[in-house]
Amino acid sequence: MGRRRQRVDPAAGARAGALPEAIAALSRSLPSGPSPEIFRRAKFDRPEATSALWQLLFRVLSPLPVGNALASLALEAQAHLVKSALCSQGYPRLALAQLPEDGSQGSRELLLALSWLLARGPVPEQMLAQARVPLGDEMTVCQCEALASPGPPAPHMEAEGPVDVRRVQWLMGKLQFRWRQLVSSQQEQCALLSKIHLYTRGCHSDQSLGHLSVTEAEMLRDPEGGQQLLQTLERENQRLEAVLAWRHTELVFWRWMDTVLGTCAPEVPAAASQPTFLPWVPERGGGELELVVRELQALEEELREAVERRRAAWEAKAGGCGRGPEWSAARRASREAVEKELGALQQCWKQDSGPARPHGPHRLVRREDGAAGERDLRAAEVIRTLRSQEACLEAVLRRLQGQCRQELARLVGALPGLIWIPPPGR
Amino acid sequence: MEHAHSFSVVFRGNTPSLWLSMSIVTVQLGQCGNQIGFEVFDALLSDSHSSQGLCSKRENEAYQASCKERFFSEEENGVPIARAVLVDMEPKVINQTLSKAAQSGQWKYGQHACFCQKQGSGNNWAYGYSVHGPRHEESIMSLIRKEVEKCDSFSGFFIIMSMAGGTGSGLGAFVTQNLQDQYPNSLKMNHIIWPYGTGEVIVQNYNSILTLSHLYRSSDALLVHENDAVHKICAKLMNIKQISFSDINQVLAHQLGSVFQPTYSAESSFHYRRNPLGDLMEHLVPHPEFKMLSVRNIPHMSENSLAYSTFTWAGLLKHLRQMLISNAKMEEEVGSDCVAQASLELLVSSDPSTSASQSAGITGIDWHVRPPLSGLPPLGKMSLNKDLHFNTSVANLVILRGKDVQSADVEGFKDPALYTSWLKPVNAFNVWKTQRAFSKYEKSAVLVSNSQFLVKPLDTIVGKAWNMFASKAYIHQYTKFGIEEEDFLDSFTSLEQVVASYCNL
Repeated sequence: MGRRRQRVDPAAGARAGALPEAIAALSRSLPSGPSPEIFRRAKFDRPEATSALWQLLFRVLSPLPVGNALASLALEAQAHLVKSALCSQGYPRLALAQLPEDGSQGSRELLLALSWLLARGPVPEQMLAQARVPLGDEMTVCQCEALASPGPPAPHMEAEGPVDVRRVQWLMGKLQFRWRQLVSSQQEQCALLSKIHLYTRGCHSDQSLGHLSVTEAEMLRDPEGGQQLLQTLERENQRLEAVLAWRHTELVFWRWMDTVLGTCAPEVPAAASQPTFLPWVPERGGGELELVVRELQALEEELREAVERRRAAWEAKAGGCGRGPEWSAARRASREAVEKELGALQQCWKQDSGPARPHGPHRLVRREDGAAGERDLRAAEVIRTLRSQEACLEAVLRRLQGQCRQELARLVGALPGLIWIPPPGR
Repeated sequence: MEHAHSFSVVFRGNTPSLWLSMSIVTVQLGQCGNQIGFEVFDALLSDSHSSQGLCSKRENEAYQASCKERFFSEEENGVPIARAVLVDMEPKVINQTLSKAAQSGQWKYGQHACFCQKQGSGNNWAYGYSVHGPRHEESIMSLIRKEVEKCDSFSGFFIIMSMAGGTGSGLGAFVTQNLQDQYPNSLKMNHIIWPYGTGEVIVQNYNSILTLSHLYRSSDALLVHENDAVHKICAKLMNIKQISFSDINQVLAHQLGSVFQPTYSAESSFHYRRNPLGDLMEHLVPHPEFKMLSVRNIPHMSENSLAYSTFTWAGLLKHLRQMLISNAKMEEEVGSDCVAQASLELLVSSDPSTSASQSAGITGIDWHVRPPLSGLPPLGKMSLNKDLHFNTSVANLVILRGKDVQSADVEGFKDPALYTSWLKPVNAFNVWKTQRAFSKYEKSAVLVSNSQFLVKPLDTIVGKAWNMFASKAYIHQYTKFGIEEEDFLDSFTSLEQVVASYCNL
């Protein structure tokens, strides 16, 4: 198990009470962190420390901020999700997978798992960023976060036998209604934001912003709410300070964790044993892989054939001639066309993966004069980028739909006596 | 989530307007659409002002505020303005509608909310779709856009039109398609009037299939009211001797009102549901092949009888369930309890083919005999000739309003036998209960159902249209204006698909 090396105050470890301080700082920097006493008990694998650690791990591993719905999950469900999340991240110790999910034992294993996570990445900082209180009206300008996080692990549902396709269509329809309502709500939200920004022009003390955000306007209207906001910000500050304190003293914690690891029995090498917990793979998973392999092979065939055809056509066209002004003019024209297509494709890809692309949440500021600072983004540019991405994706969608239609037609053609009536398109 | 909270307090008045309802923009098309639209707004506002809500003052105020935000916008002098756009090719009906609203003194239409032409243009679907539509697209869409922009929070469109009319239906199909293009993320519900079986317009079946097939593509839900059915309600239940269109439209408006007035959700009893169209559609029409909804409302009676009647929830719900099963249009049609129950038992028994004929002591009877051609099933005793086809549902929504509504027991609607095999009752059935009574009915129940109820009428219309089409009768009226035979064929195909999907439930 790795350990991050951090520049810390070497004298810190020598002081008595440094360990409880370090653990307390860690605990304060995490949401609903357990007391140092829990950590101590976990070292000795005391059962009473188990459920608190399951819950802490659950909070840490949920990719989204844990709302009421997730927090009210039963301990067994939380434990199960923790196990599957750790497994998918490649947690090496098998003993954790074998722990009972009722919180009756295993606190030392959980402590080891927690420190593994802490060693892999800046967990307290990440959690702080997740729960940040935005003072401005923000929106994200990239899709990175949405694409990276796989979403909360869904409770798995067994399909009892074959599912009627109409039921699937019904569910799809419901999803589409929700989607449309979401889009409408977002448009509404934008209209309202615009109104607020317009009406509060000139109210902000910060000249570069010029107008109030919703949170700020609300603070003015409702002093009580403003007090609550202040308290939230203070709590956030406290957590920030806790994180700083943790970073200063964490070496002590790691030295202590070495001793915890020392008290564990040595693990049997993984090759010999079979983990009893497996992430749930849908039954059709194997079939999907085969399908993908077949698709790739088919694609390769297609490409090879296409190349052959092109070559033959070119030979036919160019063979025998190859001199003359029309031929060179035609060659120039086709080369230019290809260059243009290549350029467009490169542009498309560059926009998809360029390093200069903006990331993350940005505060919305409405400005009449159009002046923008160095690190500011203009809405028009962002919109343009997003539109071109949309166009790329739509082109891909259309191509895939066309392929689907062709495949369907081919399948239908193979069945004699079947008339295929496509749905009325427009 | 944080932002949502911020907004909800930023716009605080008496109630945060974002906790109020989202708004619906109504598009009234043609004579039918405009007349019905007027009655709907009138019914909604009268109910909202009703003093017999049977609930606390605070509750009533929340109800009124929600209803107002949903359907009306406020002007300075306080008179609510309906969130509606009126469209017709001639001015007569629109002018009548505008003046009736203004006369009520309670509400009115917006000054610039109408579009009409100086003279009508013959009853021609193709003309409405291919000529009027494109020609007036800009003006109509601009009116609609203005109305949408007035909404703080926009739920979707409610488009009222007839199915078999000429210009109005063709124009309606065009407008709905346009709304699909320009507002792809907004919800659209078309309220369509199914024509009388013995209607007067020769080409009404052509118009019907063209309208339906176009709407099926561009609309999210089709809420159908059959003229025949509403007519019967007026005649039998409300004892109206000379039934006028106004009577019919008032019954219609009553039914729609009981669906669209504010309701609580089962989960949250702190405030009324915000998204009337969204909630309705998500529960009833997510599947693209099943978009037809019907409305059944009980009780229905004249105001005179109302004062002398009391109901129990158990009785009302039992009747409603029978209406669903036997595909009745109103409560009296159900006949005796035992007959409908018997038909239910026959059809869910393990081997229908043998046990049904055995218990009836008859062999060789075709159990799928079509109902009498008049379309009116015999009242009272059901004869064995009646089609025992059981009305299978995709999904159902029951909305209960009134006294002691929490005690109402809807378990009868959760019977898996009522629903298709691929959707369990827990997903297919929903109930919304609201304390506040509707329109002076101490207790009222409405069922919005996505079920096989329209299969027969649709099949009939398609069949008749096909027969006419086979001999190319009157087709030139359509090809003259750009609706080709191919479009007809497309329509037939789509509707056959719809019929097949519903039959296979």
